[in-house]
Amino acid sequence: MAEEYVLELKGITKIFPGVKALNRVQFQLKPGEVHALMGENGAGKSTFIKVITGVHKAEEGEMYLYGKKVDFKGPKDAQEAGIAAVYQHATSYPDLTVAENIFMGHEIIKHGMIQWKTMNEEANKLLKRMHAEFDATAEMGTLSVAEQQMVEIAKALSTNARIIILDEPTASLTKSESEELYRIVDQLRESGVSVIFISHRFEDMYRLASRVTVFRDSQYIGTYNVDGITNADLIKAMVGREITDLFPKPQVQIGKEMLRVEHLSRTGYFKDVSFEVHAGEILGFTGLVGAGRTEVVEAVCGVTHPDSGKVYLEGKEVNIKQPSDAMDLGIILLPEDRQKEGLIMSWGLGRNVTLPVISKLANGFFNNEPKERELSKDLLEEVDTKAVDIFQPASSLSGGNQQKVVVAKALAQEMKVVIMDEPTKGVDVGAKAEIYSIMGDLAKQGYAIILISSEMPEILGMADRILVMCNGRKTGELNNDEVTQEMILELAMEKGTTTKGGAAS
Amino acid sequence: MAGKSGRTINNVPESSVKRMILSWEGILVLVLIGVNIFCAFFSDVYNVANLLRQMPYYLAEMFLMIIMAFILVMGEIDISVGATVCLCATVSCIVCNTGAPFIVVILATLVTGTLCGALNALILTIFTELPPMIVTLATQIIFRGIAEIVLGSGGSISASNTQGFKILSTKINLGFGKVPIILFLVLIIGIIFAVILGKSTFGRRVYAVGTNRLAAHYSGIHVQKIRFIIYTMMGTAAAICALFYVSSSYGANTTTGNGYEMDAIAMAVFGGISSTGGKGNLAGGILSAFAIVCLRVGLGQKNVHAQVVLLIVGALLVAAVALPNIIGSLRRAVKKS
Repeated sequence: MAEEYVLELKGITKIFPGVKALNRVQFQLKPGEVHALMGENGAGKSTFIKVITGVHKAEEGEMYLYGKKVDFKGPKDAQEAGIAAVYQHATSYPDLTVAENIFMGHEIIKHGMIQWKTMNEEANKLLKRMHAEFDATAEMGTLSVAEQQMVEIAKALSTNARIIILDEPTASLTKSESEELYRIVDQLRESGVSVIFISHRFEDMYRLASRVTVFRDSQYIGTYNVDGITNADLIKAMVGREITDLFPKPQVQIGKEMLRVEHLSRTGYFKDVSFEVHAGEILGFTGLVGAGRTEVVEAVCGVTHPDSGKVYLEGKEVNIKQPSDAMDLGIILLPEDRQKEGLIMSWGLGRNVTLPVISKLANGFFNNEPKERELSKDLLEEVDTKAVDIFQPASSLSGGNQQKVVVAKALAQEMKVVIMDEPTKGVDVGAKAEIYSIMGDLAKQGYAIILISSEMPEILGMADRILVMCNGRKTGELNNDEVTQEMILELAMEKGTTTKGGAAS
Repeated sequence: MAGKSGRTINNVPESSVKRMILSWEGILVLVLIGVNIFCAFFSDVYNVANLLRQMPYYLAEMFLMIIMAFILVMGEIDISVGATVCLCATVSCIVCNTGAPFIVVILATLVTGTLCGALNALILTIFTELPPMIVTLATQIIFRGIAEIVLGSGGSISASNTQGFKILSTKINLGFGKVPIILFLVLIIGIIFAVILGKSTFGRRVYAVGTNRLAAHYSGIHVQKIRFIIYTMMGTAAAICALFYVSSSYGANTTTGNGYEMDAIAMAVFGGISSTGGKGNLAGGILSAFAIVCLRVGLGQKNVHAQVVLLIVGALLVAAVALPNIIGSLRRAVKKS
């Protein structure tokens, strides 16, 4: 039966240190079909693509190409077998020409010389096939995002790819640019190329795909025909997991308003975002990756500078110019990327914890190391870090424990508002529960908390109120008792697919 | 206050005596002793009195090394200091020749150097994406260019009134030899800055910036303020270096300070201060600087060609940088067998 499919994967399991990124997933691609691959952030789609293209090697499972078992040692093998991927963020060379980009790595060479004329002609032929309106000698950097994507697709075609994988191709395209892409994909299909299509937009799927496969939590959920599936079915397949008592949300009397943000804008990132958070309250911030959530809180905390808008703390307008201003006021950000932004990985845990407060602990000009050691020990024990001593480097801890060090670092400061950006990203379930319990404790102590998360269960389990963002705009604000995952997901997706998004306040 | 699981975390540092002996600084002490023994055998006139007499010329560069260490710990570099020394030396001679009181000469030189440093600092902190290597290469050309315009191509200037500069080359007789005041000054400033780097909140922040600039920014550290202060101080250090240079040569020319930036970097790197940032301390830098100074004095006494001296210092530097790698691969080899 295998010949029915151009590409078939069975029982693929991929393990990263500590995480099962793919758990016995399967996938079938028919000849000349456009097959959508959907799922939440972190469901394992990208890892799966990388297994197909030979970037990652699966621990278990088999892969059949035209019915023949294959075993890719690296991306080169996949490329030679006719599989090409176009990634979300174009991996191009902006200072080179279109033709150079298309033939990067497989230039047309004769007698050891690059045949510029032939290469430009061939590139133009490919571009013409897609009705592109630019020349092969144009510089890559001068093209629009959509045009760059065309070049990427041309690059895939230039390797005679029979299977093309598009990873969120419409994510950064406008409506008309998307139309253009649809046309190209239609063309590809007509010429017999099979396409795997990853997208968060339902619109893309309905418009292009004949079948859709859904992944959730690293597992295969099902493959459905696009005709005869509804939005609701699909969302349920994507997010419908059971929420157990992973979330020890305490009942807290919500107090006075702590932080209020009014009409905050930063060109190119987010526009006109307003919200407020009260003492003892957990405000959930959700949306798809790239919706602008992190950018908003970074602007509030002075990491970047908003173009307009006002920030009030306890009713008084505050002027935050740099991160230290926010910290002095008691607005503490726990950044998303622990390893790059949150911690100094080669430093000991203790020094990491006390870094923001060394001046407060110091004897005048000099570091008070005994006091630092005392404080960091207390705080690291309070959040129950699994560590031997305060001198071991942060890099020696697991992701969950690194996050606890980040929390301890925040606790060292005088806090009023705590902003946690994806605190459980890359953290295993056990440590997740511990971080939620710390979060609950903080709320109980009367801190105002903003929780940024892409994980729906986390938002529903912990937040009192939920703010949804999409494409840099606030698309809704919901109370937790009246909300469903489907409502959030629809607000977080592109507008135009919304059927009941009227909950926006 | 133990955690919920009752786990306790140790916060008592282990005794550091053993670590101190095995550290790079410990090795450098041995290197310094070794260099002196070698020089004593190599040159029959190598003794304390002669060493103290010939040292000042080389010691001037140590002022550069002290601040260069801060820049290297930040993971950056300043290659304009040699040119700054040239410009400062020129200015000090010109001001001196106007007959101004020596205090004015000193102030004018310090201001010139500090302004040069501040120019670097300003460019680097306003355009934070620019690589320090290229910016300071550009200002190096500018500073030396100004000096050349003043001096004329290949020209030179000599200080006509050397009274003031003689104060700087005063020596104090301490029985075992006449100790030049520059030695005292280098030691005092060196120790002060070693303490600043190693023990102060400012120093801790410099290491944070050099190890993970982004995390430092998120932790509320004023990264650009720190960079500004250090690059400006680098200019001041160049001015001090220039004053002592003139006090031993009584003049300046267009090649003054050539290669000083590289000497300063070499001293610091040989002292275990990594050029990638965040590693090393000034104690190592000072020890290695003295080792290099002693070696130069000793070899110089036997009229070993200056280029050969450079060759030896260069070879030592390569060895010092490669040593951790060599030890690492030896260890792996031992483990395998």
